[in-house]
Amino acid sequence: MFKQLKARFGSSLSVGIIAIIGIWLIGMVILPQLIMVDYSFRPNLLPSEIGTDKDTYSLNNYETLFGNSIHLSIFAKTIWSSVLVTILTLVVSYPLAFYLAKVATPGQAALCILLLIIPFWINEILRTFSWYIILAYKGPLNALLLALGLIDRPVRFLSGDGGVMVGMVYAYILFMIFPIYNAIESLDSNQVKAARNLGAGWIRTHYRVIIPHAKPGIATGCIMTFMLAAGSYAVPALLGSPGSRWFTQIIYNWFFEGGDWNQGAAYAFLLLLICIGFIALVMRVFKVGLGDIAR
Amino acid sequence: MDSSVHLDNVVMNFGDFTAVQKTDLKIESGEFFSFLGPSGCGKTTILNMISGFLEPSKGVVKIGGKSMAGVPANKRPTSMIFQNLALFPLMTVAENIEFGLEVRGVSKAERKKTSDRLLELVALEGSGSKKPDELSGGQKQRIAIARALAVEPQVLLLDEPLSALDLKLRQHMRTELKEIQRKTGITFIYITHDQGEALTMSDRVAVMSAGKLQQVADPITLYREPQTSFVASFVGENNPITGVVDAIDGNLVTLNCGVLGKFTGRGIGTISKGQSATLFIRPELLKLGQTGDMSFTARIAEVNFEGSYLTLTALLNQQHAISVQIGAEQYTADLIPDAEIQLSFASQDAVVIAGEGNV
Ligand SMILES: Nc1ncnc2c1ncn2[C@@H]1O[C@H](COP(=O)(O)OP(=O)(O)OP(=O)(O)O)[C@@H](O)[C@H]1O
Ligand SMILES: [Mg+2]
Repeated sequence: MFKQLKARFGSSLSVGIIAIIGIWLIGMVILPQLIMVDYSFRPNLLPSEIGTDKDTYSLNNYETLFGNSIHLSIFAKTIWSSVLVTILTLVVSYPLAFYLAKVATPGQAALCILLLIIPFWINEILRTFSWYIILAYKGPLNALLLALGLIDRPVRFLSGDGGVMVGMVYAYILFMIFPIYNAIESLDSNQVKAARNLGAGWIRTHYRVIIPHAKPGIATGCIMTFMLAAGSYAVPALLGSPGSRWFTQIIYNWFFEGGDWNQGAAYAFLLLLICIGFIALVMRVFKVGLGDIAR
Repeated sequence: MDSSVHLDNVVMNFGDFTAVQKTDLKIESGEFFSFLGPSGCGKTTILNMISGFLEPSKGVVKIGGKSMAGVPANKRPTSMIFQNLALFPLMTVAENIEFGLEVRGVSKAERKKTSDRLLELVALEGSGSKKPDELSGGQKQRIAIARALAVEPQVLLLDEPLSALDLKLRQHMRTELKEIQRKTGITFIYITHDQGEALTMSDRVAVMSAGKLQQVADPITLYREPQTSFVASFVGENNPITGVVDAIDGNLVTLNCGVLGKFTGRGIGTISKGQSATLFIRPELLKLGQTGDMSFTARIAEVNFEGSYLTLTALLNQQHAISVQIGAEQYTADLIPDAEIQLSFASQDAVVIAGEGNV
C-alpha cells in the first residue's frame, strides 16, 4: 500500500497520510476500546485508591449481570426485541426493495428513494420525537382511528414495547432497504421470467429465485438493523415507558447515574459479545458466509 | 394434441411506438417455425406475447385453439429458452431442470428420473450435480433446452438460443435441436437473425421488418419467390437493379434501367407500366457466357476464392456493382481484375418487385 501511495503522492506526503490514518485508528478507535476493556476488569474505586492493592483485575463486573435478575431479563428482552425489530423491518423492507429494484420505472424508483431519504435529513432525536407525537394517547393516529371508527377509545401505543418497535423499524429501515435493493437490482430479470415461464407463482419465484440471490443483501441489512436496534439509546429513551427499558439504558445509568464506568464497560462488552455471537449463530443457521456479505 | 399457435390480429404498442403491427398468423401443431428479421424488428416482442410476459394491445394469442387472454405466464403451456439462457446460477444443473416439475408438485423420485432422462437426451449424463457456472457455453445451452423440455410444453419458444455460440457448436446444436423437435413433436417457435439458421431448420419462416410480417413461407419458396424487396435482399445474397417498367408480357416484366440496359424478370405482385421497380438476380444464377436469355458484359473488379466456389465482383457500365458466384471448376486464368466478361441469366430466374428496392 505504501508503494502505491508513494507512486502517487511521493514519499513525504505518503508518510504523512499513513501517520494520520495510524493516529486516527490507534488513538480514536483502538485505544479507547482497549481502555474500556481494561476498565471493565477493574473495580470501581475512588481516585485515591487507583493503583493501590485494591486495584486488581477480576471478572466481578461481568458477574454482576448474572446475579441481577432484572438486568438479565432486560438484557434478554433487548436481544429478543431487537430480533423482532429486525424481522419487522425485513418484512416491511423486502417488498419495497423489490418494488424499487424490479417493478418501478427509473423515475418512480428515484422519487421513492428520495421520499425515503428526505426524513433522514432530520436529526434522529427529532424524527423519533415525531413518532412520540404521532403515537401519543391524544395524538393524530388515535384521532384518525377514532374518526374512522376502527377503535372506540384511544390506544396507549407508548406504554409497552410497541412504540419502541415502531420507532426502530422506522429509524433503521434504510439500513435494511438499501442492501436488499442492491442485491435484487443485480438479479437478471430474465431469471424471474424464466421461473414464471416454468410455471412458478409469485411466492415460489421469490422463495426459490429472488431471495436466494438477495440473501447476502438480506443478511447485511439484518445484521446492521439488529446491531443498531440492540445498541439504540434514543428510541427506547424517547418512545419507551418505564416498563420497556432497553439494555443500553442500563449501561447509560451505570456510566452517568451510578458513576460506575467499570461496571458500565463490562455491561457494554457483554452486549457486544452476545450480539456478535448471536449474529454468528444466525449466519451459520442460514448458511451465510462472511464472504457473501462482503460481496 | 393440438399445439398450434394462432396470433389472431395481434398488435403490440409501447406508448406511441408500434413494436408489432397487425399480425394474423397461424403456426401449425408440431411445426418448426422461425421468425427471421434484423435486430429490433419485434421478434422477442412476439415471443413475449405468446409466453404471456406481454399482453397484446389488440387481438388475442390462441394456443391449441384456446384464447390466452388473461392467462398469466406461469399458466401457459409454453416454455422459453431465453436469449441469455437465464439458468438459475445458485441451483445445480439437476435442480434447474427439475424446477418446473417441483413447481408442479412432482415427487422427488419422479423428478430425478426426468432430469436423468433429459440429461441423457442432451448428452450430459452425470452433470446433474454441477453448478451452471461449471459448464461450457454449449453445455449451458443444452441444459437450458433440457430445463425447457422438462415441463413437457406444447410450444417451445427459442429466442436466438444459439447466438452466443461459435460457428462449429452452432451447427452441431442446430442438428441437435432439429433432432429433439423430431423426437418430441413439440411446436418449435424459433427466433433468429441468422438466415442460414432459419433456412436450414425451419418448416416455415416468417420474415419480419420493423414490426411487420413481410412474408411467411417455406425456406425454398422464401428464397426463390420473395414477395417483397426486403425479403429479396434480406434472405440470401441478391443483386438489385432498379429501373422503370418498360413492357409487361405475361408474367415477364422488362425494366428500362437507363445506361445499364434493359432487363427482364418474373414480375411479383401487381406491377404496372411506367412505375419504378427493381429486378433481383441471385449471384449463383448469373452465368459466365451466353447461356441465359439476358446477356450483358461487365468488367471484373475483384475475384475472391472461397473454396468450392468463386465470388466475382463485376461492374456494369463502370458503376453498378454486381456479384457473381461460379463453381471453382469454372475458374480460368483470364478471370482477373479489369478483364471484360460476358454474363447472362435466364429471365425466369430473376424476380421483379415494384418499388425502388431500397429497404
Ligand atoms: N418494454 C418495452 N418498452 C418500450 N419499447 C420496447 C419494449 N420492448 C421492446 N421495445 C421496442 O420494440 C422493438 C422491438 O423489440 P424486440 O425486443 O422485439 O426486438 P428483437 O427483434 O427481438 O431484436 P433483437 O434481435 O435485437 O433481439 C424495439 O424497437 C424495442 O426498442
Ligand atoms: Mg430479441
